[in-house]
Amino acid sequence: MIEVRELTKRFGRTVAVDGLTFHVKPGRVTGFLGPNGAGKTTTMRVILGLDHPASGEALVNGRRYDRIRHPMREVGALLDAGAVQGGRTPLGHLSWIARANRIGRDRVVSVIEQVGLAGAARKRIGGFSLGMRQRLGIAAALLGDPAVLLLDEPVNGLDPDGVRWIRELLRGLAAEGRTVLLSSHLMSEMELTADHLVIIGRGRLIADTPMRELTAVRDVLVRSSRAGDLATALAAAGGTVTAEDGGGLSVRGLDPKEIGDLAARHAIPLHEVTPRGASLEETYMRLTAELTGGGAGR
Amino acid sequence: MIDALAAEWLKLRTLRSTFVVLGVVGVVVALMALLAWYAVHLWEGLPPGRRDRLEVSSLPELANWLASLCLAVLGVLAFSGEYGTGMIRTTFTVLPSRGRVLAAKASVVAVVAFCTGLAAVLATYAAGRLIIGDRPIRGQSAEELSRQMPLFLALSLSIAMFALLGLCLAAITRSAVAAVAALVAVWYVLPIVVNNVPAPWNERIGSILPGALAGQLAGTGNPQSLGGALLSPLAALAVTVAWVAVPYTVAAVLLARRDA
Repeated sequence: MIEVRELTKRFGRTVAVDGLTFHVKPGRVTGFLGPNGAGKTTTMRVILGLDHPASGEALVNGRRYDRIRHPMREVGALLDAGAVQGGRTPLGHLSWIARANRIGRDRVVSVIEQVGLAGAARKRIGGFSLGMRQRLGIAAALLGDPAVLLLDEPVNGLDPDGVRWIRELLRGLAAEGRTVLLSSHLMSEMELTADHLVIIGRGRLIADTPMRELTAVRDVLVRSSRAGDLATALAAAGGTVTAEDGGGLSVRGLDPKEIGDLAARHAIPLHEVTPRGASLEETYMRLTAELTGGGAGR
Repeated sequence: MIDALAAEWLKLRTLRSTFVVLGVVGVVVALMALLAWYAVHLWEGLPPGRRDRLEVSSLPELANWLASLCLAVLGVLAFSGEYGTGMIRTTFTVLPSRGRVLAAKASVVAVVAFCTGLAAVLATYAAGRLIIGDRPIRGQSAEELSRQMPLFLALSLSIAMFALLGLCLAAITRSAVAAVAALVAVWYVLPIVVNNVPAPWNERIGSILPGALAGQLAGTGNPQSLGGALLSPLAALAVTVAWVAVPYTVAAVLLARRDA
């Protein structure tokens, strides 16, 4: 459980986060979205005790992060996969983190295997690709078997296999009852991974809503060789029908089953029945449209 | 605190740059041996009557002077290596108490610097005695190790002081370049500048410079260096502590206040 309450953070005269309040609940993947400079990373940094807020607070499991005795055992975080020293090996890097939080050596070996770095455990990190660094960062986040995970852009630099691996990993962790906060710029990826979304812009909350409400079915596209007859029948049954360019009908107020049954009763052939939802990308663009044209902070 | 100490110790010994710095200290000792051999060569070549005109700097002290810069760089790297890569944020998420991180880094760096310094000075002394033997070359003390030990311990302490100064400067500036530049100023430039200050201030200021403290700590003075020797051993100890305590306090306050 992560609670962000009335959080404000300024960098000089720039307000990066402005009275932000939201909760991240366990058992689901919460996507954290916003245009560049919306304050996502700053918010995550405040949650992790790296940045000091001007006012408000961020609590993890009811406590400020810097009051947690062995934080890696409660919170796993990946902020910047590049933030490692190239002169060390994954084994060395994870060993000091484990030692600092009294995590057993066996966990170091098992997370290295879990993220698929077993073959590179003794190679210098300096020679790693971005994808390998992301995997190492995820290994560090998972090291303490934490109940809360914060990941900033974890799929950057990963190949399609890696992207899919992260998606399944995060969904699995949420299904185990963990709290997962995930930021990403990739809308399609977010749509597949997240159950809930927190969208911010210019440091303020724009939406805090389940994914299915943002991508709910909007209308049904229907095509038929007797479009005119079908439109009449659908309208009579209570649907709102609009003719589209290309001969299709956009139907609202009736679901695909009702449309199909109705057409069968009138013996009207159907060529296509497609329920259409707004994609996350479209909804996101609409929600953040008024904010584009100037970011704030970082 | 034990966890933080163990973690910083692991960090230091899993980093390649640590071994590069220690390797350079090894090279310094080898150079000292070479210098001893060259001094012997010169001394042998001189007619007996002119041999006491040849003076060679005390090799353990020269080794100390060079090693102190190496270990100061090790101190700098302990922080700047993390700021340069952003790893400092990983460190502070793993160990949120920044004061504890600073204390752990300082302890580890101080112990490593002291031990390395002592090893370098002793190795140089041993190599010098072996090569020079009982030839009475001026500047080379032929005294027994037990008589020399206070000076050697003071030299090692001053190496630890330099290393901690480097660590704190890196924590304050968050930059390897700035920290090393400041260090070289204190280590090399400042003594030369101070030496040219009109008397008696050259000696007064010269006595409190970091490089002049070991000799005063051991009570041997600074016969061969630019440094002054006006302080009692106890006063020299107080000044040594101050060279660490002041930057340490500034670093601790800045670390706690600043965003990581």
